[in-house]
Amino acid sequence: MNALPSSRLLWFMSGSIGLIALPHAWHVPPLLIGFFGLMWLWRLLAIARPAWLPNRWGLFALTLAGIGLAFSQHRGVFGRDAGTGLFVVALGLKLLEIRGKRDVYVIVYLAFVVAATQFLYEESILMALYILLVCTVLLATLVTQNSVSPQTVPALKTAATLIVQALPIAMVLFVLFPRLEAPRWSWLDADNQAKSGLSDTLEPGSIAELSLSAELVFRVKFDGDLPPPAQRYWRGPVYSLFDGSAWKAAPALFRAANPDQPAFGGRAYDYTLMMEPQKQNWVFALELPSAFPAGLRRNELYQLTTNKNPGDRAEYRISSTPAYNTGGISPAERRENLQLPGKPSERIRNLIAQLRGTEASPEVLIANLLQHFHRENFRYTLNPEPMPERQVETFLFERRAGFCSHYATAFVYLLRAAEIPARVVGGYQGGRFNTVGGFLEVRQADAHAWAEVWLDGKGWVRFDPTAAIAPERIEQSVNVDLQIASGAANFSPIQLDAKTLTWLQRGRQLWQNVDYQWQRWVINYDTDNQKALLQSLGIDDFVKLGYWLLLSVGGLSGLLAWRLLRPNRRRRDPVLLTYRQFCDKLRKAGVDFGPGDGPQTLAQRAKTVRPDLADAIDRIAAVFIRLRYEPGAETGDLRTLKTLVRGLRV
Amino acid sequence: MDVALDRLIAAANQIILGKERQIQLAVCCLLAKGHLLIEDIPGVGKTTLSHTLARLFGMEYQRIQFTSDILPADIVGSTVFDTHKQQFKFHPGPIFKQMILADEINRATPKAQSALLEAMEERQVTVEGQTYALPQPFFVIATQNPTNQIGTFPLPESQVDRFLMRIELGYPSRQAERELLAGQPRHLLINALAEALSPAQLVELQQAAASVYASPALLDYLQAILAYTRQSPDFVNGLSPRAGLGLLAAAKAWAFIDKRQAVLPEDLQAVLPAVAGHRLNAGSSDSVGIVAPILAQVSVH
Repeated sequence: MNALPSSRLLWFMSGSIGLIALPHAWHVPPLLIGFFGLMWLWRLLAIARPAWLPNRWGLFALTLAGIGLAFSQHRGVFGRDAGTGLFVVALGLKLLEIRGKRDVYVIVYLAFVVAATQFLYEESILMALYILLVCTVLLATLVTQNSVSPQTVPALKTAATLIVQALPIAMVLFVLFPRLEAPRWSWLDADNQAKSGLSDTLEPGSIAELSLSAELVFRVKFDGDLPPPAQRYWRGPVYSLFDGSAWKAAPALFRAANPDQPAFGGRAYDYTLMMEPQKQNWVFALELPSAFPAGLRRNELYQLTTNKNPGDRAEYRISSTPAYNTGGISPAERRENLQLPGKPSERIRNLIAQLRGTEASPEVLIANLLQHFHRENFRYTLNPEPMPERQVETFLFERRAGFCSHYATAFVYLLRAAEIPARVVGGYQGGRFNTVGGFLEVRQADAHAWAEVWLDGKGWVRFDPTAAIAPERIEQSVNVDLQIASGAANFSPIQLDAKTLTWLQRGRQLWQNVDYQWQRWVINYDTDNQKALLQSLGIDDFVKLGYWLLLSVGGLSGLLAWRLLRPNRRRRDPVLLTYRQFCDKLRKAGVDFGPGDGPQTLAQRAKTVRPDLADAIDRIAAVFIRLRYEPGAETGDLRTLKTLVRGLRV
Repeated sequence: MDVALDRLIAAANQIILGKERQIQLAVCCLLAKGHLLIEDIPGVGKTTLSHTLARLFGMEYQRIQFTSDILPADIVGSTVFDTHKQQFKFHPGPIFKQMILADEINRATPKAQSALLEAMEERQVTVEGQTYALPQPFFVIATQNPTNQIGTFPLPESQVDRFLMRIELGYPSRQAERELLAGQPRHLLINALAEALSPAQLVELQQAAASVYASPALLDYLQAILAYTRQSPDFVNGLSPRAGLGLLAAAKAWAFIDKRQAVLPEDLQAVLPAVAGHRLNAGSSDSVGIVAPILAQVSVH
């Protein structure tokens, strides 16, 4: 019973343990994973040379060292990282202490736990598949452990069969079993590690940095058709404080409120917005959100914020109306949006005077300013030379090359200098349409900055000076920034439509769609979703839920048991099928026989029960034996057999 | 030819009363070119059966009575110095005969047993570096007492595997015993037996038996049986590939005795206890009981 496990089992087990620990290498501290790796290698070497294993005292010392390491890395054993680290270290230590079957069981079960902890870090579909695969290998270890003559491939096959059989039950439990929400694992550790994205400060280079990132920010699925590309502005933070080089959002406490609620007109777009994990609690809605769920808030700057943990993926139903009027402006707000870092220089005032001409209306100034950007030799680039001092002037009069935030900054600066309230808005523009899933994917590279100007009677109106320079950036769903950054394109328009999509792009879109559905239906399945689903099924209390669970799990198990236990009917040989009909008829006639009875035995027994049918039974048995066991049966024999069996009346 | 075989079996049934099945199995074993092991308590007719078969098949035979002090040299022969010719000369032992009756094989020490069993496997004998071929055909019919009897050395599993079949005789039925008691002494009857087949005829029959057709469907069933014994927790070891070959050869011979040109599942089932019983559980004499779960569980179709 307590014999030492065979080396085949040890290899198998070590292999599966290695596979389990592999993805942990990305987040468990190097010291701990190194410790585990050492134990693991030690175990591998000791398969060939068991004498190299540490004795009791050595093991004790190693255990102390492992605990010390785990504690030094996390200062405790609570929380996601510390707990996972501890499990990994324990798994490594237990590998060195195998004295019998019992220890193998302990290791395998511990390995299942370690495999599950992986989901505290990553919930992607790929990781789920990987863990499922690893679980198969672990199960195969158990199969090997309990097999008299273990063989690798059959053990893996058995394990895979077990997994496939268990999956439906797991799915039912996933859907029906009450979901445990608290504690939110991701809240145990404050891990806002390095999620890139927009922040409440707009530095000159920040958007250029983002433009190289293909990281997904959110997905949008429109109920009907999509808004035209020129209207796809996803509103983020609003910047109104300028210090000469960087923009800051006004602190919420001192934010000047707009006296009027925005008025909406024209058509509204309904859509589902699915946010990827974010650092900030911002929700990037299409300008301007007119209706949104209760968990969201539209602040004074018309930006949506959520009260949920932004580190989780979340899904919102939002309605936006591109035609809007925000109404009046309060004196405080006007003051805030005319703020300038010092007095504008002579050159700037001259430029404004020149652009304003004889008219005093802001609209004319704006139109002339955009004309100016368009006509004069301004260029769009993601790699402008640094402009350390007097950024706006250097940009306007000397370099004339920059990207969206430079243009927005210059635009807002000039308008403010002309006493027109204006501000910079950050967010995302455009997005790539996934033809497979029918949704827009918006990535960090789509980050954008544009301007908003308050006009009398119209409220805050969006102007995008970048569109005057590089209309491709706005009008097309191509990621110009990314292309420019990689040197792949300049400003010749790039045609990219559905026809020219390569299989690679199609594959990527397909995958994005699978991932989207996974997020939507599996990861986002929380207490609320479950409650809604259960109520739609008519389950309103725990007793009913219990019945449902019992019925569905019991039904599935029964189905499986029936499939496993019923006589094997897989083969499709017409001879056998006809013979089975014969068997069924005999069984109906009261002949008792088992699976191990051959045709002659069967015929003998049938004749004693039904002597009246002896002739027919003998002929059927003879033809069947000729077809199945004798050489040179003819095709006519099968017809004869069929006729005989059909003619048998019991 | 077939008639000769029928006559042989009929004649044997005249000597050993009420054991038709065992006699048919024994003949089947010889047709399939296998060695035969007869196991039972003393006095039920093991020696008589082997003696009868040897007579009927008309082969030159030799009986070796195994005792606890028999030596390998007593079986295979020894080299003796010839004083006339001034050189060593090999004196062949009793094993150099076509048919060997190894009586009470498990009373001998393992050393002596293995001398016989090696000869059975290799069909040759090596003495002091010289190899001597055994005659053709070469058969061993061994008898042994049940292993729980005092003074026996049970054959190890690896050696039991060399015997194609193991059959048990058991007590005779009431009627058979009455005939036995009322009839003539058996050894007189055996001495009076005429040979029913010549060795050359036997070789022909063996070839004819080996050419019986085994269909893919039958091989499926055979493989299912083999797989079952390898997976089932009832058996410590499953049947070996050699056992599978033996099963097929025996089933062909069984079909041949039944005058059929194709093997049926029933043929396999008939020889299964004798061929598989001692391989699956050497400690038990109940071959039929050992293979009963196989027959019940493995589906024919």
